[in-house]
Amino acid sequence: MSTINTNQLFAEPAHVNSSVDRAQWNAYSRAAFRVFFIYFLSQVLPLDWKFYRDLFSINWSDLQYSDIFHIAHYTPRFSAGAQTFGDWGILFLIAVAGGLAWTYATRNKNIDYDNLYYWLRVIVRYRLAIAIIAYGLIKFFPLQSPYPSLSNLNTSYGDFTRWKLFSLSLGIVPNYESFLGAVEIVTGILLLYRRTASIGAFIILVFTGNVFISNVAYDGNEQVYSLYLITLAAFILTFDIQRLFNLLILQKPTSPNRFRPVFSKRQRWIGYSFKTSFIFFFVILYAVKINAAVAKEQLALNNNKGLSNASGIYNVSVFRINKDSIAYSKTDPQRWQDVVIEKWNTISIRSNRSVIVDSNYAEAVGPAYANKLYEVEGSAGRHYYHYEADTINHTLLLHNRNKNYAGEKLRFHYERINDSTLSLSGINEHNDAVYVLLNKINRKYLLEVVAETGRQKALKL
Amino acid sequence: MSTTEIIAESPAKKLLAGHVNGKATSTMTVKEWKPWQKILFRIAFIFFICISIPNSPEWYRLVSHIDWSNLHYRDLYDIARFGSGINFFGNSIFGSTLMGYANWITTLLVAIGGGLLWTLAVRTRQTERKEYNILYYWLRVVVRYRAGIGIIGFGFTKLLPVQMPYPSFGLLNTNFGDFTAQKIYWLSIGIVPWYQIFAGVVEVLAGTLLFFRKTTTLGAILLFGALGDIVYVNFAYDGGVHVYSSYFVLLAAFLLIDDVPRIYRLLVQEKFTAPVYFYPDFKAKWQRFTRAGLKTATIAVFLVVLFYLQLVNFLYDPYKQPSVAGVKHLRGNYAVTEFRINNQLLSYSPLDSTRWQEVTFEKWTSLTFNVNRPTSIDLSNGGGDPQRDINRTFELTGTAGGRRVFHYYADTVNHVLYLQDKYKAIPDRRNRAAGVGGDGGTEKNLQAKNRNETSTGEASGRKNADNWISKQAWVNIGDEVKMIDDRAASTRRNREFAETPRTEKRNRMILKYETQDGSRIILTGINENKDSLYIVLDRVDRKYALSESSLQAGKY
Repeated sequence: MSTINTNQLFAEPAHVNSSVDRAQWNAYSRAAFRVFFIYFLSQVLPLDWKFYRDLFSINWSDLQYSDIFHIAHYTPRFSAGAQTFGDWGILFLIAVAGGLAWTYATRNKNIDYDNLYYWLRVIVRYRLAIAIIAYGLIKFFPLQSPYPSLSNLNTSYGDFTRWKLFSLSLGIVPNYESFLGAVEIVTGILLLYRRTASIGAFIILVFTGNVFISNVAYDGNEQVYSLYLITLAAFILTFDIQRLFNLLILQKPTSPNRFRPVFSKRQRWIGYSFKTSFIFFFVILYAVKINAAVAKEQLALNNNKGLSNASGIYNVSVFRINKDSIAYSKTDPQRWQDVVIEKWNTISIRSNRSVIVDSNYAEAVGPAYANKLYEVEGSAGRHYYHYEADTINHTLLLHNRNKNYAGEKLRFHYERINDSTLSLSGINEHNDAVYVLLNKINRKYLLEVVAETGRQKALKL
Repeated sequence: MSTTEIIAESPAKKLLAGHVNGKATSTMTVKEWKPWQKILFRIAFIFFICISIPNSPEWYRLVSHIDWSNLHYRDLYDIARFGSGINFFGNSIFGSTLMGYANWITTLLVAIGGGLLWTLAVRTRQTERKEYNILYYWLRVVVRYRAGIGIIGFGFTKLLPVQMPYPSFGLLNTNFGDFTAQKIYWLSIGIVPWYQIFAGVVEVLAGTLLFFRKTTTLGAILLFGALGDIVYVNFAYDGGVHVYSSYFVLLAAFLLIDDVPRIYRLLVQEKFTAPVYFYPDFKAKWQRFTRAGLKTATIAVFLVVLFYLQLVNFLYDPYKQPSVAGVKHLRGNYAVTEFRINNQLLSYSPLDSTRWQEVTFEKWTSLTFNVNRPTSIDLSNGGGDPQRDINRTFELTGTAGGRRVFHYYADTVNHVLYLQDKYKAIPDRRNRAAGVGGDGGTEKNLQAKNRNETSTGEASGRKNADNWISKQAWVNIGDEVKMIDDRAASTRRNREFAETPRTEKRNRMILKYETQDGSRIILTGINENKDSLYIVLDRVDRKYALSESSLQAGKY
């Protein structure tokens, strides 16, 4: 058995002026390049007028992280609502037409395609970095999937949609969510430098590829957007893919990228200041704003308009409707089974009254937790009410939070009999007179017990 | 405004490329390794060989007893999944298992000792080599195949989605807060079988790429990324498989050690990069045939045969859920309309600690119900390789909310269900071949087994236990081993059923059922406390917000 030996020391060949290593631009690759040049520019540059409408409606004196998030989430659309694959098709047709016109217009001119390619890649790199960092930071903090509410903990597994279960499952492990966010942030930063861009793009292909498949599997609503990011990453990686294939798969000596623009001092200065302000706005300012929002939401939670010291799950021991008592029942659509009072001003009622699921899974960034619709979206089994409490006259006004039951109101007079007992009397959504007696249940959740004691001890619950 | 620096390919580079392709005999000198490189290599060699070889006698026993003429997917899975590393000194250091990583540390210490002795030996005898290029190649081969086979064994249970089953009725009806975090993660994958397939494809692909020199880097990158995520998932959700998943991350990192500097040089430093690989030259015919033969055999066994066996498992015998079909007209969600115990009527109250609240009959031979009373909880992952349906516990592990799960044998002639509680205080040992590096709770299960064995003698006697179903009833019930599709039959299944079931104390009920078409069922009989029961059940058509997948494991 003998060995194939190769010389380990292989000095870099001397600089020679020849064009051997330059990308070979033949007629076909030039034509394809022109189409992709127009296509990617139209996908990433903010050319859609709606972008400016949104931009000018931002209150810059009170900038919210959600404003920056929306800037970062830009995609060109030809209609209202989120981007569709149809929009891609239109942009591609425009690119083909533009490419043909370009070919004709420059038929006798000599264009430096290496240079154009370089700058196109710069623009796409920054565009992708913005998007990835925007998502990375809301995961890092972690805002994207909050911890399940008490009502969520008291809802049957099968009463959630797939999308909601995905989000709840991530919500129980905030540090994992932060880890995923950290991966995205680091990757986004790798994109900001030419020499590390392909590594970042490769990580995004894998990471966001997984996000895309998850969106398909869990009926998420970011399928188009995640695939959009993947195409940008694929474009960035294309620049080095042949080199990497040659080096890692064919295991052959490989030449690096030889093209780099040469800048004057002034140009370099402009470049640095652009980069600095970019990082300041999309990373630092955005992170600061998220951090402020987290603190503010915590404050909003503590100073909410809800009943004080009332949060918990309650058994409905007495239920009267128009003076008729209804015994405990899991099948009666009128009979309440249990009631959750959240720490914020939400009350949810479990009964056998069916729920048309609110499946508007808009990405949950925006105002304070209490006003978010996250708790009600993708969930059946309970009706969710946002309430206003008048603590002087002891009245509650409940509004159904599900958009399919908009306008539904319940009015109650409440009496706090003791720390754990509460009675409500008033009218329900059908204007029937209702009286209920609520007794707080001291319920322990396996999720939380095991999080504390681990899985190695015997447990009875 | 821009220029480029341009460098020509030197003729030498082309020459080099020829060498790499393995055709040239070279006169180039092989560079000598630095002393520290040699020492490090010796340590790494011992370490990685030790963690690539099975360390438990049980594995060798199990593998040598495999019946290759009548395989079960788990036979090949067992080959692929084993504990490794130095375990002569136990699996803890100063009494701590270091979250399961103690074995790695012990192995590393032994490897360091061994590496230093090796160095001392070759230096005193003055037989020190200049380099270990070829030995390094073979070490990488061992690690590549160990990692490849291991991850393929793991990946196929996802590629044909049985590792995370779709939730049963009982699980669908359990509140979100009544699961452990581990259960929530497993279920979140179980509800999307197509996603599970995707994850399986990634793992199997990563493993397959490791079988070939030229795709090793790509395979190792995939393995590193995918398993790195799984390690974090296991820590976050307390999934219990963190050590085994870290193991693959470690192996993948080892395989990438030479590639990282290359990628760094080419992309970050933007320098000309000439990779150097040392491959043995298989000149002799027998060498080439042996190589091709071994490679083909590995691929045939772990990609072709295992795929087929896993497909059979998915179709007829999904290993985490019972595989025998339940009585056809006893399936679905039921409301407990009437409940009498010892002839006393109990009306429904969510606070009542005796009355059943809701009942499910699963597709398979399980009945579940809820009672508002604390009950002991099986906190394991509910995996392993049990053949008997009663020991397949995914439908109850990590689940609270007062849910009780009973397995039943149905005498469909006399309409009698013989029910046994699926919860067992002392769980069976699972993943026996895996040893250390198995599922969470392996250590506990090992101890549990010892406890169980010592208490067997004191157990209340096998005779009583075995006569609770009459011979006549057994005739009507049939033989469980044969109750699944013939195509799923295996020696492994036959062997487990041939063993007398270990004496185990389980709650038992014998209930007679009456029904026309399953919409109303009347159960009468005695429960585990010898109380008489009379229960009227009415089927409820419960609509779930969770939409079921088109892909379902098992045949019911």
